[in-house]
Amino acid sequence: MTEPSLAGGLSAYAIRDEPYYRAIGDEIEIFAAAYACRLPVMLKGPTGCGKTRFVEHMAWRLGRPLVTVAAHEDLTAADLAGRFLLAPEGTVWQDGPLTTAVREGAICYLDEIVEARQDTTVVIHPLTDARRALPLEKKGELVPAHPDFQLTISYNPGYQSAVKDLKESTKQRFVAIEFDYPAPAVEAEIVAREADVSGEQARGLIEVGLRSRNLRGQGLAEGASTRMLIHAGKLLRGGAPLDAAIRAAILLPITDEPDLREALGAAIAASLPAGLAAS
Amino acid sequence: MTTGALARPDALSRPAAAAGAATRLLRLAGDRADVGAQLRATLDRLRRRWSAEDVDDWAEGALALVHANAGGRCLALFCRLSMAGGAGAADLAADARSAAELARRAGSKAAAAALEAVPLAALRLASAQERGRWWAALVRLARTAPDCVAPLVERSATVLAACDAGGFEDFVAAGLKAGGSDRTRLRAFFTLVDPAARRLLERGAGRAGFYELERGLVLFGAALWGAPPRLAALEGAGAAPAAQRVSVVGDLIRMPHAYRGVPADAAPGLYRAALAHATAQRVFGGPRRPAGKLKPLQIALVGLIEDARVEALAMRRFPGLRALWAPWHVARPVAATNAGLLMGRLARALFDPDYEDLDGFVAKGRRLFADVSGRLEDPTLARAIGGLLGNDIGQMRLRFDPKGHVVEPLYRDDNLGLWDFGDEPDAQAEEIEQAVDAARPRAEEGDDGRMADAPPREQAGRAREVEPDGAGQAIASYPEWDRAAGVERPRWTTVRDVPAASGDRRALAAALEALPGFRQRIARLVRGARVGRAARLKRQPEGFDLDLDAAVEAGIALRIGDIPEERIHRAAGRRARDVATVALIDVSESTRDRVGAATVLEVEKLAVAALGAAMDAIGDRFAVRAFASCGRDDVRLARVKEFSGRMDDAAMARLAGLSSGLSTRLGAALRHAGAELAPLRSHRKLVLALTDGEPSDIDVADPLDLVEDARRAVLALRRTGVDVFGVTLGEGCDARIFGRANTLPVRRIEELPARLSELYFRLARL
Repeated sequence: MTEPSLAGGLSAYAIRDEPYYRAIGDEIEIFAAAYACRLPVMLKGPTGCGKTRFVEHMAWRLGRPLVTVAAHEDLTAADLAGRFLLAPEGTVWQDGPLTTAVREGAICYLDEIVEARQDTTVVIHPLTDARRALPLEKKGELVPAHPDFQLTISYNPGYQSAVKDLKESTKQRFVAIEFDYPAPAVEAEIVAREADVSGEQARGLIEVGLRSRNLRGQGLAEGASTRMLIHAGKLLRGGAPLDAAIRAAILLPITDEPDLREALGAAIAASLPAGLAAS
Repeated sequence: MTTGALARPDALSRPAAAAGAATRLLRLAGDRADVGAQLRATLDRLRRRWSAEDVDDWAEGALALVHANAGGRCLALFCRLSMAGGAGAADLAADARSAAELARRAGSKAAAAALEAVPLAALRLASAQERGRWWAALVRLARTAPDCVAPLVERSATVLAACDAGGFEDFVAAGLKAGGSDRTRLRAFFTLVDPAARRLLERGAGRAGFYELERGLVLFGAALWGAPPRLAALEGAGAAPAAQRVSVVGDLIRMPHAYRGVPADAAPGLYRAALAHATAQRVFGGPRRPAGKLKPLQIALVGLIEDARVEALAMRRFPGLRALWAPWHVARPVAATNAGLLMGRLARALFDPDYEDLDGFVAKGRRLFADVSGRLEDPTLARAIGGLLGNDIGQMRLRFDPKGHVVEPLYRDDNLGLWDFGDEPDAQAEEIEQAVDAARPRAEEGDDGRMADAPPREQAGRAREVEPDGAGQAIASYPEWDRAAGVERPRWTTVRDVPAASGDRRALAAALEALPGFRQRIARLVRGARVGRAARLKRQPEGFDLDLDAAVEAGIALRIGDIPEERIHRAAGRRARDVATVALIDVSESTRDRVGAATVLEVEKLAVAALGAAMDAIGDRFAVRAFASCGRDDVRLARVKEFSGRMDDAAMARLAGLSSGLSTRLGAALRHAGAELAPLRSHRKLVLALTDGEPSDIDVADPLDLVEDARRAVLALRRTGVDVFGVTLGEGCDARIFGRANTLPVRRIEELPARLSELYFRLARL
């Protein structure tokens, strides 16, 4: 991959080593195609299934720096675009991360964008259509986007409520790529690599994940994410026995209900091979 | 043998008068024609056995019987009991005193029956204390339902077979509670004709049975196989106890409501094992095969092989199932005196490769099964292998009892679903239909289209679908707290949907308008209300933090010499109302009382109409239900308004049409309201209960019972995120039920309309 020289401000956002990402479908090709036209991309999917890792990987692959903003409810438009600060010598304008990316041509990744309020989110509208510019009203500047700038957002449709959702007008500006938990064989590969455990152990953990995902909508809002399975694997790697690793990384965080934990624990025990299960 | 003295170490000196108990006994009853000689003979023998004090203790007991006019038969039985030995003087005296009490309350026949039953009961009552509890339970029964004592005593052995002394007490308590003051019901219970009584026995008075474990089982099945299983309980029919094997009908898995003789801590594992096997049968089993001319023994054998086949396939998929099933294979290689035992050994041999059994038949079965391990998916295997083995076992001339045969081990199902017996297909299909219907949940109207996908019944409501009864449309049943016993009784109350009559809505609307200052008050409340998620409000005059943008602007303004804006803070506030409410209106008989010019019910209607108008104005979701009860099987709920929609003409008409009558079983109504709120997605859920006094009902003697039940219902709802507030009209101290902070006592009834609306907005602001 080419290593273009980066403006000083963005060197901190450059990704130098390849982030491991295992392709599930054609997402790499789609994203690359979207980037080629600088189309904004929306990554949809449940938590912990690789969206952020994917963006990091693509940024590395395309040789662009990646500016990530974790959206939350207090995020304001000024947090994204920038604001005046009071310095001894007078007021000085400070670019926000979005503006920095726009100016310097980075990929800007707004993670969990639904968490932010809708009046904050509309800031991105002028960037996502033909205008490709970011107006800074307070400063009186219209920042045209660098030719290499691209906007990517992530979004978990499972957490919708009437209050928190993307506006239609926002959604329709994006190309969407859907993420989900990978097929068991693939997920086992990922877990084995990320947690540094054997294939057999990884496959056991995948079974655990499948059991919990079967309960989605029946007491669990979400099943165990791939990330949770990796955590369990890492605990295994660190020497914890299997049932303790499953309990700490999956059963306890995922639900507070004792009935549910017991039933899920029993189902997990029933699905694991005897050799793998401890005592 | 002075066991009596050892049992009473505190008795050091005896009053002189008591020393004559034996003498008094002889004087009073020694000369009776029926029992005098026996008494004297007994006393003689006891004097040789025991010390003088003990004999006197015993005599006091006998005297109690005499004073109670228990009759000669009782005395005779008491003598016989005492002669039989095994119990000390003090215990026997206690027996006699309890029997005397029974005689007083329930008649001498009952007392005699009890005395007669003591030896048999004593086999199950380990200690003197347990014995005392048994008597105490009988005495309690005698106080409330004397004619039930004799029937219960006759069946005492059956009851004690199922549970210990504590269980016996629970059984009596449960029976008294279930029957209330209805003599027919009480009698049905204590003669074990009532299925509820048998059910209770089978569950060993509180051990873990199907109902307690059902939810966990559904989750277990869903987690393992992907889809939640459809489960139903298998109860006994008529006088017969419930079957002890799972029975699969279509895709409905019917499980014994209790497995007899299984300790409580093993029950969850057993039910899971049973569910796993039944599902494995469904997933890996073949289609029904014609029974044709197969003899019962062959059918049993083919079923056994098929069980082994599907379990082997299931264990390939889920290796951990082996650990779940293994503990129940208990066959041992001892001489098999009948075919059933031999088949049990074969079953274990096919399941457990480490099980050693040298029998030729078992070994052959193992070999045949091992030979086909490469093609276990073939559904014709069982028939083939079963056929080969069937010849062998037939030639062994082992006894086989087709009627008494049960599939082993305990967790396996009865395998009836494997076969097509060729009888009227309609009959079978009908049976399936009925079983499926009974278990099918009522289609709930998605009240506002916002139901979560397949929600499990929340624990607060724990509603169970009930079969339609005829008398009113039963829609759910709920547990109720039994204060005396300290347990929650599942499926205790039945909630019925009754149609709401239409009334004069114009009159109601006119009365609403006539309320002084009504419209303005509502408008003011609506303006001031905000409920919903927390949100940061910017540019506030005060707050916990600086609004950075506003602060910067103020700083700039200062620098350029302009006047800075003062509102530079951020504060927490609320945005976007997201609340769902159920208003419960008590329409019991007491609401017919007049307060001033109107009845309590009329004022309630007015208050709810006012509240409804306010909630319409602000756009909140709410439903209105009116409740009254006639015993625990008839808790009537009228739907005045549903969640979706406004307080329109039809709803107002239904509100106007409510009439007073019956009793107040508040707990059941609260649980139902909680169940109605459970599937809704809302930031805040409220139940507003309007009630005019303490909860009560015709089948509950102690009013505190229903108060406590209502209190627990409130707690249960709160645990699921539903807030409950009580508006109490009257002198009842209902702060016990709702909590002081959540009770609004309305002393002057005319205030209710205004206060109710204010309350709502106050609550909704929290």
